[in-house]
Amino acid sequence: MSTNKKVNVIACSGMGKVYGLMAREAVLHTVQHLCPEQAKTLCLAYIVTGDEEALAGFDNQPCITVDGCPAMCSAKSVAAMGGDIKEELKVLDVMKLHKGAKPGTATELTLEGWAITEEIAAKIAERVQEIQKEER
Amino acid sequence: MAEELKIGVVSCSGEDCAGGTISRLATRKMMDSIRPDNTVTICLPLFLAGGQEERAFAKEYPTIAVEGCKRACAKRGTEKYSGKVNSVVFVSDLIGDEVAEGPVLSTRDLTDEHRVMVDKVAAEVTKQFDEIMNAKGKDSGARKSSSCSCGCDC
Repeated sequence: MSTNKKVNVIACSGMGKVYGLMAREAVLHTVQHLCPEQAKTLCLAYIVTGDEEALAGFDNQPCITVDGCPAMCSAKSVAAMGGDIKEELKVLDVMKLHKGAKPGTATELTLEGWAITEEIAAKIAERVQEIQKEER
Repeated sequence: MAEELKIGVVSCSGEDCAGGTISRLATRKMMDSIRPDNTVTICLPLFLAGGQEERAFAKEYPTIAVEGCKRACAKRGTEKYSGKVNSVVFVSDLIGDEVAEGPVLSTRDLTDEHRVMVDKVAAEVTKQFDEIMNAKGKDSGARKSSSCSCGCDC
């Protein structure tokens, strides 16, 4: 059973490096395939504008941020805009488990990159389930 | 020798619609293959999450915003935190509202048709890029590696 409202899962913009693309694709995989009924994503660029409508997207629901680099743009921006962050996930933490892996480029992932991205998505989905239980 | 002019191409994050994915890929194409020598980019949220160096981006470089949807977050975010952009490319003007406002796309689900759209948007960005270059009296044809000015050593 899930609660009515969805957990917000928000990736960094991730334009500069492969880890950013992995963050984005992991979030999309989570909200589109792993837990579409329990999670949704929000566009970080829209949040950063500070528009009332953009911030209403938080919907008073907990957030998971997913960042591709140490700049932690998603976590910092969501926090600055008043989002309730329950988990800050870092792609680099997962990459440490895959030393020597070649995940691709900021434009395109390799098969290895997709496999690691799915692993990240599974972690996100696990936290989504846990947070929904905690919120009940 | 004069320092080579670089132009900032700033894509929206593009998490809300298919146009966002096209916007991101067109920006990447500028960096990877069309004008790698002269294109710099920045992750838009870094204007907020970063420091003074990141916020100086649009003052340091002429900037083109590439927008996946009509909210124009790339332009508005850049101008709110950094400086005025020189031009804006709206993906929906080039591929149509219906496609641009469709569901957000994973790069895994890209079709040949989407790739043609990326090329079309990249061509418009290139046109505006070269107009800025010409206005500055520089040649944008030379090739070197591109760079990201996100401060994270990309």
